Amino acid sequence: MNRAEEALKRKPKRWVMNLIFFVAMIVAIVFSFSGSKINWSRFRSIGHSLRVMLAGFADLQWDFFFGTGIFQFKEGVVYLTLVTLAIAFIGTFIGAVLAIPFGFLASQNIVGKHVARIGEAILVIIRVFPEIILALILVKGFGMNALTGVLTIGLHSIGMLGKLFAEAIDNMDKSPLEALDAVGANIWQKIRYGVIPQVAADISSITLYRLDINVRSATVLGIIGAGGLGASLILAAESWSWNILGTILLAIVVMVLVVDVISSYLRGKLV
Amino acid sequence: MTKYTLTNGKTVTKPFNKIWIIVGSVVLLLFLFSRLIPYDASFIKLGELRIIIVKLFTPKGNRTWNDYFSYIFTSLIEPLKETLNMSFAGTLLGSLMAVPLAVLSAKNIVKLPIIYIPARTIMNLFRTIPAMILALIAVFFVGTGILSGIIAITLFTFGIMSKMLYEVIETIDMSPVEALESTGAKKVESLRYAVMPQVLPVFISYLIYIFEINVRSSTILGYVGAGGIGTVIKDNILYNYDRVGASIILMFVVILVVQLISSLVRSKLQ
Amino acid sequence: MIKFVDVSKTYPNGVQALKNVNLEIHDGEFVGIIGLSGAGKSTLLRSINKMISITSGQLYIDDVEISSIKGAELRLLRRSIGMIFQSFNLVKRMSVFNNVLTGRVAYHPTFKTVFGLFPKEDKLMALESLDTMGILEKAFTRADQLSGGQQQRVALARALTQRPKLILADEPVASLDPITTVQVMDDFHRINKNFGITVVANMHHVDLALKYATRIIGIKDGEVVYDGPSAHISDDTLVSIYGRSLRHDEVLGE
Repeated sequence: MNRAEEALKRKPKRWVMNLIFFVAMIVAIVFSFSGSKINWSRFRSIGHSLRVMLAGFADLQWDFFFGTGIFQFKEGVVYLTLVTLAIAFIGTFIGAVLAIPFGFLASQNIVGKHVARIGEAILVIIRVFPEIILALILVKGFGMNALTGVLTIGLHSIGMLGKLFAEAIDNMDKSPLEALDAVGANIWQKIRYGVIPQVAADISSITLYRLDINVRSATVLGIIGAGGLGASLILAAESWSWNILGTILLAIVVMVLVVDVISSYLRGKLV
Repeated sequence: MTKYTLTNGKTVTKPFNKIWIIVGSVVLLLFLFSRLIPYDASFIKLGELRIIIVKLFTPKGNRTWNDYFSYIFTSLIEPLKETLNMSFAGTLLGSLMAVPLAVLSAKNIVKLPIIYIPARTIMNLFRTIPAMILALIAVFFVGTGILSGIIAITLFTFGIMSKMLYEVIETIDMSPVEALESTGAKKVESLRYAVMPQVLPVFISYLIYIFEINVRSSTILGYVGAGGIGTVIKDNILYNYDRVGASIILMFVVILVVQLISSLVRSKLQ
Repeated sequence: MIKFVDVSKTYPNGVQALKNVNLEIHDGEFVGIIGLSGAGKSTLLRSINKMISITSGQLYIDDVEISSIKGAELRLLRRSIGMIFQSFNLVKRMSVFNNVLTGRVAYHPTFKTVFGLFPKEDKLMALESLDTMGILEKAFTRADQLSGGQQQRVALARALTQRPKLILADEPVASLDPITTVQVMDDFHRINKNFGITVVANMHHVDLALKYATRIIGIKDGEVVYDGPSAHISDDTLVSIYGRSLRHDEVLGE
């Protein structure tokens, strides 16, 4: 009995810290809301807003969707969705190709600790720069069109892809490199026969995952004129035309889900 | 397929490498998709690009450098607070909301397809809608301002957190759950004592990671009226490039700091 | 007392794991169950606390027929039965103390246990169990910092903290090295003798079962083919249980 009681006194008291932590969290959340000037008149009309939204969703514009009737095919949601996909796909491809040298540059296995630090720093800077801001700048140089979207996604993807590629290269089995050293291979031969066969699957899987993210980004970037669905989306949103918004939203959900399913299926095959 | 004949007469056939199918489809897709991207050399005005960069990062007209930077520390502080507030509240609320959905989506905890299939459907629905569109819808319901930002970030976080969390729950060690059940514990109690200790550190690490994502994406949310720095950028994009540039510098520093703290804390948690 | 009356278990995939088992296990016994892997040892053991439900027959624990009980009644039954697993089944990231305390969870209402509110007596009970197992000084370390033998003792302490009248052990030493195996089996022996807790254990190593158990139940293809005191078991009997002579991995040897 005594031994047990003594031991109980030694028990670290964590609940005080936990309590303080929880109270702090709650205070912080309440504080976060206090800054939001709540628009009560909007709140009172939430029921009405919901009816307006649902009525719009019930009245999807199929001519607009397929680009038939009074609409040109190139104005239709289907075409714009394909453009959005094209922006995401080509952007991701460019990003992945550019990220490979960065991945090697940020990998301790390949270039050593010190150079890898520099490579990592460059990637952090690319990653930190918000996509929308990049697009805002690029739109001046490349115009209000899909090309800007492609370049934005391509450049922005380098940051995260480069980092993940470097991790993949650092996690691989190093013994084949030793074996290649033993047969007298130079650095390029080591990369070709020792590194690429090992990391190709990982790199493809990471890129597919990024494609998933970029499909969403491509939609969003359109709102500042970088091509695809975004421009029509923001136009419809400014006039709250829920029938048009709903039509576009349907396309977005289907597109994202389809890409998600294909990408995770292919990633499953790669492992 | 290539056939090799060795000197002793044996033949070896090298099978067709599937890599060429992949390379082929990627090239084909690139070709098809590139036809959808309009390209014209006249689009490209690299001079404009240089001008805009200069305009962003130098004071406008008769403003001084002092004006440029003091703007950051005076007028941008309130929007920055809004950005961080809405990211914080949205991340925390969305993550808490995600916990029950993640549990209901985990096959190893809820063995009934009638529960986990609808749960996953809800999860996927929220996950597919980009945060910006959630913000647009929120603005429609509650008006512009950070409340719609909080709602958008909450719903976005709810979607990705429930997905990430349920994947973690499905890979936990189930043996303590068995042990808890053998002591006569209820389902909730097994969750509390056998599942939660395994999942909590990962949950916190994801929480920080998603906060990082949300701070970054809050810029774009402001662009559709959800408050914070994004709204400042949108309001000034036509006439005051230097204000936009100052906002960009501030966001860059803030995201960098958040990212450094986030990766530091997450590496401690592992 | 545990009583099996014509108990059978058929899994949904058609495998018949138990065939008309009739058994009586009395309070305070130390029963070793032996047999080939897949013979139904684990099913037999797990049917006692209804971790596996039987498909026909009756199973009585202290004269209560358990094949129909569920919900609160079932949890009450499980609370009174400790269970030890081959891979310890501890929450690795949690402290030893909190792991042992989970043995008390079923004694309190959910709203208390969910917030980790246990009365002081329970905490002392947990620490005493750890003291009994000789690992009190490890109480506030994380479970995954302990060796396999120590982890199995934590699991035993958890079971003791339930204040059980019966402990079921499913291959309790199969993941341990020979030296710790003997120590943990000694612990089982001590618990059985000092506290009068009935022990029913599945054993892979036949010589261990013969040494520690007072009674041996031999299972072959879901049927009880031997039931008697461990002292009288002959090599021929073992051959009849295993259908062949023992392999050397089925004997620990000392």
